[in-house]
Amino acid sequence: MIGKRLRFETKRETEFVDITDLLRQEVRLAGMRMGRLHLQSLHTTLGLAVNENEPLLLRDFAKMLERFAPVGAGYEHDDFARRVDVALDEPVNGHAHVRQLLLTGFATLLVEEGDLVLGRWQSIFAVELDGPRHRELALQLDGDFSPLPRASGGGSGRGWPAAVRSDLVELELTRQLLVDPEPVSTPMRRLVEAGGKRLRPKLVQLTAAIGPRQEPLRAAALAAAVELLHNATLIHDDYVDESTHRRGRPTVAAAEGPERAIAVGDYYFAKATRLIAEIGNRDVTSTISEALEAICASQIDDVALRGAFPGDHDSYLRVVRGKTAALFAAACASGAQLSDAGPEIVEALRRYGDLLGIAFQMADDMVDFSPSSGKPVGLDIRQRVLSLPLIYAAEDRTVGPEVRRLLAGTLGDAEVGRVTDLVNASDALQRVRVEAQALVDAAVHELETIELDGLRPTLIGLARSAVDRNA
Amino acid sequence: MSVQLIDRELDRLESLWDDGLSETYRSYMEAVGAHEPDAQPKLALAAALVEIGVRLQGLGGRAAAPPTLLMGDLCLARSSRLLAGAASQAVQVAFAQAIEDMSSAAASGAAAPAPRALLLNALKAR
Repeated sequence: MIGKRLRFETKRETEFVDITDLLRQEVRLAGMRMGRLHLQSLHTTLGLAVNENEPLLLRDFAKMLERFAPVGAGYEHDDFARRVDVALDEPVNGHAHVRQLLLTGFATLLVEEGDLVLGRWQSIFAVELDGPRHRELALQLDGDFSPLPRASGGGSGRGWPAAVRSDLVELELTRQLLVDPEPVSTPMRRLVEAGGKRLRPKLVQLTAAIGPRQEPLRAAALAAAVELLHNATLIHDDYVDESTHRRGRPTVAAAEGPERAIAVGDYYFAKATRLIAEIGNRDVTSTISEALEAICASQIDDVALRGAFPGDHDSYLRVVRGKTAALFAAACASGAQLSDAGPEIVEALRRYGDLLGIAFQMADDMVDFSPSSGKPVGLDIRQRVLSLPLIYAAEDRTVGPEVRRLLAGTLGDAEVGRVTDLVNASDALQRVRVEAQALVDAAVHELETIELDGLRPTLIGLARSAVDRNA
Repeated sequence: MSVQLIDRELDRLESLWDDGLSETYRSYMEAVGAHEPDAQPKLALAAALVEIGVRLQGLGGRAAAPPTLLMGDLCLARSSRLLAGAASQAVQVAFAQAIEDMSSAAASGAAAPAPRALLLNALKAR
């Protein structure tokens, strides 16, 4: 049996919200094969109905509700002078309560072969009678569930252990975006669907399989929330960095303006923190919120340091530790905390994530100088983003003076091309590669003394692959 | 106790204290009496940081310049960390929903709900 809450926002006073797809997602996410989905409204002015989703018919229903229980028809419930304990924000909504009597507040739907059993024209509606509001439905799924597949099956992806159910994370991301208002969900969906490595969710899922309490659905919920949080920070970053493209698509700021970018970033920052709070593990909530604070603080440092571009090694490490490594470390620690792993395991994984995150950023810096990466070469130079190869090239005895001179001036195509050539001609990239590999070795070393329930090879492989890449 | 807390929690945000944050904090202090005494200053500061943070960002209005946006981001993040340590799950969820309401209204161009009213309501969540 699985119990969940389905939350969504309504937009109009009376509204038929088709929740069929959301419920289908829940069934798929749970891996339910055969059984029953019980659904219950948690409000006295929100009903449920199974009927046809045909716009004119829905208008007929709304008119029928209005005829049966018109607004302002002298309901005693609306006579606040006669009622006790009336809240300050109590709405005048007697009509909505009466209309709810005509509907039902609960429903049981059958599930067969992993899908809802519905007739051709049947859709399931949550019927808003007093909107717009935040609404919540309780769900219970009761029946037979598919066992989690082993390494080679069911969406884990080749080479990943069963704990890393990437399909669960993708479903959870889809499900969350389905219930969000269109002005925020459309830009976020564009970013989420453009891909990305999903390293942070993988780290959450892996580490959530280490302790004694292993719950793949909770792990997927946390992993998806961490990915949303990561994407929310990217949306604000792109505005700050004046980036026009990310993952091959226009950034929110470039496509829809900075005002929308700020709003979308804020929305998903808040939504992710809410989803994490709803998981109900205080250690997890603290770990993620501390990481978020570190990210924001280091973003301020990052921008401040652009006046001294390209900066130095210590400044670089301080910024990268906050900007990139903090969320890697939090992903590792929070997954372990979710599974009730012991504190020594949590801390070892936190250190592993921190070192891996720094190494990952160094590898990312090197990609900026690789013509085979598929990304425009020299973007970090153009945007004056902190980059270790540039720092090392600027320190180089041979090319350093020219690199520093070029970086101090206006950076057009010719200057960016020349700086790129100088970095490639120096030993800067090799120094960064060696340093990143040393960090990966240190990260792997953190795993040696703790019990990882067979996941050590995967965590080691993930660390190695994070550095050994060209895209 | 409260003064020490404020000192500790204003790292990098000190300039905001005399620029409206202190007054906003005091307003929220009047609304947290129902919470545990230890939690009251943290919750009031968390609410004040959200209110000041979204104002700095220009949420629902003209976008702030990048450095100011980042200050606003840090306000929201610090608020989140304060809530993680001091607030019940219901209050944490209500704060997040308040920001969701403000930002979705801003994204859709609708009139933004007043942060003060939303946050005062969030502090009452049980």
